[in-house]
Amino acid sequence: MPDIKVTPLGAGQDVGRSCILVSIGGKNIMLDCGMHMGYNDDRRFPDFSYITQNGRLTDYLDCVIISHFHLDHCGALPYMSEMVGYDGPIYMTHPTKAICPILLEDFRKITVDKKGETNFFTSQMIKDCMKKVVPLNLHQTVQVRADKRSFLNLCYLKYKTAAWIDKCRPDILITESTYATTIRDSKRCRERDFLKKVHESIERGGKVLIPVFALGRAQELCILLETFWERMNLKAPIYFSTGLTEKANHYYKLFITWTNQKIRKTFVQRNMFEFKHIKAFDRSYADNPGPMVVFATPGMLHAGQSLQIFKKWAGNEKNMVIMPGYCVQGTVGHKILNGQKKLEMEGRATLEVKLQVEYMSFSAHADAKGIMQLIRMAEPHNILLVHGEAKKMAFLKDKIEQEFNISCYMPANGETTTVTTNPSVPVDISLNLLKREMALGGPLPDPKRPRTMHGTLIMKDNSLRLVSPEQALKELGLSEHQLRFTCRVHLQDPHSDTDTLSRIYSHLKSVLKGYAVQHLPDSTVMVESIVLKVSSSAEEPDLKVVLLSWCFQDEELGSFLSTLLKKGLPSAL
Amino acid sequence: MDSECLSLLPSVCEVLADSKLLPPDDTSLEKLLDWFKDLTSQDDGQSLLQHQPCLLQFLYSVMESEVVDPIIFSFSLKLAGLLAAEESGFCLLQEKGVLVSMFVPDGWHVLGLWKNASVRCGWLQGLWNMLQHPPAMDFFCRNGIITLVLNLQNDESLFITSLTNQILAHILNCSMPRVLGNDTDSTAEGQALVSSDWVSVTTEIMSHMSRSLASEDQAVILPGLRLLAIVLTQCGDPLKRLLWKHVLEPLEVLAIRKGDSLTPPMMAVLQAAARTPLYIQPECRVEALMNVMLYSRNTNESVLCAASILLLEKCVSIRLIGSAVISLLRICIGHYPSTILQVGNFPHLIGCCKIQRCGLDVLGSLTVYEESMDLIQEAFAIILQYMQSPDSHATVLKKAHQAALKWFSICSPSTDLWRFVSNDLFSVLKKHVCDGRWEVRDSTLEFIAQLTSALKGNSEYTEALHTNGMISVLFTALSDVEAYVQASAVAALGEALTTTNLPLCTSLQEEIVSHLLTVLAQDAESFPRRAALKVFTSWLKIPQTFAALDQSLSSVFSLGGNDCDWEVKIHTLELADVLMEKSLSHCPYAVQGYEPSERCTEQALNKLMDLGTLGLLFKCLFDCDRPVSQKACALLLKLRAFMKQTSHTDGNDLALEICRYNWGEEILHRYCSKRPEQSDCVSNDDEVSYEQIDIVKCDPCWPKEISLCKILDVLDLDEMQHTLSLSSDHVINSPRSLMEDILFVAHQSEDNVVDCY
Repeated sequence: MPDIKVTPLGAGQDVGRSCILVSIGGKNIMLDCGMHMGYNDDRRFPDFSYITQNGRLTDYLDCVIISHFHLDHCGALPYMSEMVGYDGPIYMTHPTKAICPILLEDFRKITVDKKGETNFFTSQMIKDCMKKVVPLNLHQTVQVRADKRSFLNLCYLKYKTAAWIDKCRPDILITESTYATTIRDSKRCRERDFLKKVHESIERGGKVLIPVFALGRAQELCILLETFWERMNLKAPIYFSTGLTEKANHYYKLFITWTNQKIRKTFVQRNMFEFKHIKAFDRSYADNPGPMVVFATPGMLHAGQSLQIFKKWAGNEKNMVIMPGYCVQGTVGHKILNGQKKLEMEGRATLEVKLQVEYMSFSAHADAKGIMQLIRMAEPHNILLVHGEAKKMAFLKDKIEQEFNISCYMPANGETTTVTTNPSVPVDISLNLLKREMALGGPLPDPKRPRTMHGTLIMKDNSLRLVSPEQALKELGLSEHQLRFTCRVHLQDPHSDTDTLSRIYSHLKSVLKGYAVQHLPDSTVMVESIVLKVSSSAEEPDLKVVLLSWCFQDEELGSFLSTLLKKGLPSAL
Repeated sequence: MDSECLSLLPSVCEVLADSKLLPPDDTSLEKLLDWFKDLTSQDDGQSLLQHQPCLLQFLYSVMESEVVDPIIFSFSLKLAGLLAAEESGFCLLQEKGVLVSMFVPDGWHVLGLWKNASVRCGWLQGLWNMLQHPPAMDFFCRNGIITLVLNLQNDESLFITSLTNQILAHILNCSMPRVLGNDTDSTAEGQALVSSDWVSVTTEIMSHMSRSLASEDQAVILPGLRLLAIVLTQCGDPLKRLLWKHVLEPLEVLAIRKGDSLTPPMMAVLQAAARTPLYIQPECRVEALMNVMLYSRNTNESVLCAASILLLEKCVSIRLIGSAVISLLRICIGHYPSTILQVGNFPHLIGCCKIQRCGLDVLGSLTVYEESMDLIQEAFAIILQYMQSPDSHATVLKKAHQAALKWFSICSPSTDLWRFVSNDLFSVLKKHVCDGRWEVRDSTLEFIAQLTSALKGNSEYTEALHTNGMISVLFTALSDVEAYVQASAVAALGEALTTTNLPLCTSLQEEIVSHLLTVLAQDAESFPRRAALKVFTSWLKIPQTFAALDQSLSSVFSLGGNDCDWEVKIHTLELADVLMEKSLSHCPYAVQGYEPSERCTEQALNKLMDLGTLGLLFKCLFDCDRPVSQKACALLLKLRAFMKQTSHTDGNDLALEICRYNWGEEILHRYCSKRPEQSDCVSNDDEVSYEQIDIVKCDPCWPKEISLCKILDVLDLDEMQHTLSLSSDHVINSPRSLMEDILFVAHQSEDNVVDCY
């Protein structure tokens, strides 16, 4: 089928819960399987019942591809694979595979911490799900079941601002559009702003709380502060709460080659993850006098250590909380970001928020400029926008259509976009092969009447050529290999080895009429390419071992012969 | 009803209706609808509308606005539907003209809002909410809404077509009894209600269905088939019969139509039909249609058909299915059946993981049938082949383990089987524990643990486990590079020791305990530590005593209590729970004046104190992770109850030197706040600051020790338990918090961009 169908189950004119179904060439692929933090019932996951009512996702889906480890892209994986039921392959990169379970565990912890949470995946389910993951390298191509044409001419990019991408001219480019309308100030500006704010707060003797999730931004901000502290020779302690595992740092080190160039470059000079100024936090430190900076989980201030510290520090206007990411409705993080000054806590207590509240997004989503640049590089035939708010998407869609004059789609959740493609792939055929084909007889080539041709396809230097197997071997400097199968059949036959061979010869001659059966002088019998030999040991002369060997082309005949001989030789011979 | 919330409602409505303000995110709107749903289920829509005039005002202003945000418009449609779900609310809205202008075509559709999928979805959802009573049905039928609904059946949104089908089935279900005149309570009055509109709507739906099925366009046929399957499962028998007559002809055409992807939905329809009385009526031709489907398709598709027919009834014997599955599994692993003919058909199945996994699943599920017992030898043989095959994928091996467990659960302990276990199975499992793939090592260890647990008390198995070198393999696995695998090794080893009836030599016990203590102290990845504590708890639960464990309990409590992982702490508390239960239950409930029991209690408490159990409970009580402090609080309440029951004195005997512990400060803090009158050192404020505590600690007039009973009293555990049970969730989910958030967001000038998490 030449059509590509794309249906978002989540992230269609929407942020969070990214989950996009793509049907292409008879294959059904799910891109991402994310969750929405804004709900605490089943609505947090994509509704898979739209795919199949009976819940047998394995029957329908050929594979799942996860773009990266953020929870809005992988948070529903254990739910899908273990609770709804999916046994097929899940593809992701090595770093994603390593980091994904840490974030899922972290999230599970936050969730079970809340009251009345049901129908949520367990630690065991996360592990079982990870067992279904097939890790990939960058630029690695995977064939999804080799029995059918399954070349995925589809480019799915996320979370990449300046990712290098070839001019691959995909039929469709699916891209996120979170910051569709913004041209963001440079990351460097944001970083400088961040350091300035932390510094000011510390200077006036305040405490700075930075609520974070286990991995990602936490490490990046740590590197920033560590470098700044070193340069400015600052003495105030920086703490890292225990919820942030050693393991997370470990993986950051391990996958250094996958991180951005700047981190990589600095890493050569010194190991950025061995912090001099950043120490592990103990909850008693929160009461220590004097300035300090604390990184604590979770990132939305709705439970655990970060909330506990926040409660202690909220009453002092010298203190500051910096929210480096998005907070969903209902969380303390969301409330203070929207300027609420009086918070109702558990029980009857009210908490007055006097500390300074700052929001700084360090998310790596692409802005409008980045997306346009990506399109220019990849030259897709169609664009499909996901993971963004409807209004902003519409703005970007107009811009793309005007500038590139290509179709741009922004389906809502559940809406199917169909893109018609032209899947013809030109292939050059060697003249020799054509001549040989003609020599074999048959009608002359007619463009209106397609016919089958046999040959070897060489894919080299972006060109496709069909040549004869011999020519292919010659061009590639390879020699031909022959695959032979062998097997042993035990026979009880109280004759000499030579007689047994003769008996086998007569038997086969009578059974296989019309086949070339020969008794050769070197004590072998040959049926087409199949070679038979007989041997026995001195201890058991009556137990004959018949050795059979055949080449691949005679596979059926070979297994037929072995089955036949297993039944024994007729006594009448 | 929360009056505070209702007092916020007018301003929320105002904010939502104001197109100049930012609309809240859709989760907020959905949660607001949840709240309205709760309200209307407690109280009908009419009284809500009467007491909250702002709602009606909101609906009016949305309808009149020309620049309304589609998200808000969709919300108002759903809300109107909810308010009209009861007759009284419906009548009021009808009277005010709201329903006509919101739900009848040609009103606002001109505004271009209809192009927005969320608006179409909201419109359907609103209808779905409303169509719960005859007046709403009347409204629906009289106003020609059906045409629009039928159009939406071919919408490009999956969500909309699915909702449309639900609504159509619902309409048929509601109207048919009356239209057919067999409504059970059909009085003359009831009959009078059946207007011609109802009849024409049902006729229109049925004709539409048969037209869809007769279409050439697959995109039109598909929703038709889906609706048919829904009706056949959800609606009453008379309706099914009537409908079947309408659709049989196009179905017969579809059944012979080849080369498209309609086979699965067709089979879904036939499956649904076969479960109704239509199946036994020859003129309905359900079976004939199945036959046509089965024989007119290519191999792949007829396999699909056959599979769904097999699912239908137990028309084929279990033994036959079993044999088929086993043959298929053999082909998939490359073991050919004897004839060449069969081989030719399946070369592509060899090594196909998808079929291997599915086949092993089926093989396992056969164990629920008694007839399967005959297959047991063959089943184990094929499972073993899969385990032994070097080509088996990790996910396939896991399925083989699951199937094996199921077969083990039904087999009687025959000698042959144990030979199989100790010779073949254990040797392959030992190999797998050292496999290069962590998935295989882990699944194998999990399998060993599950098998050991399932065969608890089976002496042959236990013997095989302990004499085959398996234990030493498990020991080796404790130092695996993968934390998951280490944890599974811990669990398997723990299981192996609890199930054994063999007298265990002390040295082995000691060896394991010391290994697990090392895990607790050194592991950095939490899974092995959690597993170690679970093992300790399971050992403590069994009647036999593990001397080695008893000696190490204090180290376990200290390590577990100071762990940075909250689940390790929870498991440590569970261990403490079992220990408390065990030591305190030995003391008979005290009858006043009986000294022995008191002494026993005292001894038990002293032991708990010495092992660090009490310290653990107090430390965890103030933990920042709610589940930890909640569990500790529950245990302390248990302890308090026990002490109240057993002791007639104040319990002054057991005193805790609180200054020695870091949690002591917190307790002292509370102690001071609670009884300020006892000391001049502390001011009479409600709250005592930590600076003051420092003064207290240095003051010689303050006790360095406080009795356990007093501490338990001072802590106000009941209040703590109550607060903890409310959890952070309390803040997040309350409708009041939701409304406040909506109000605050609307007046926020800066847009906090929603990004990743």
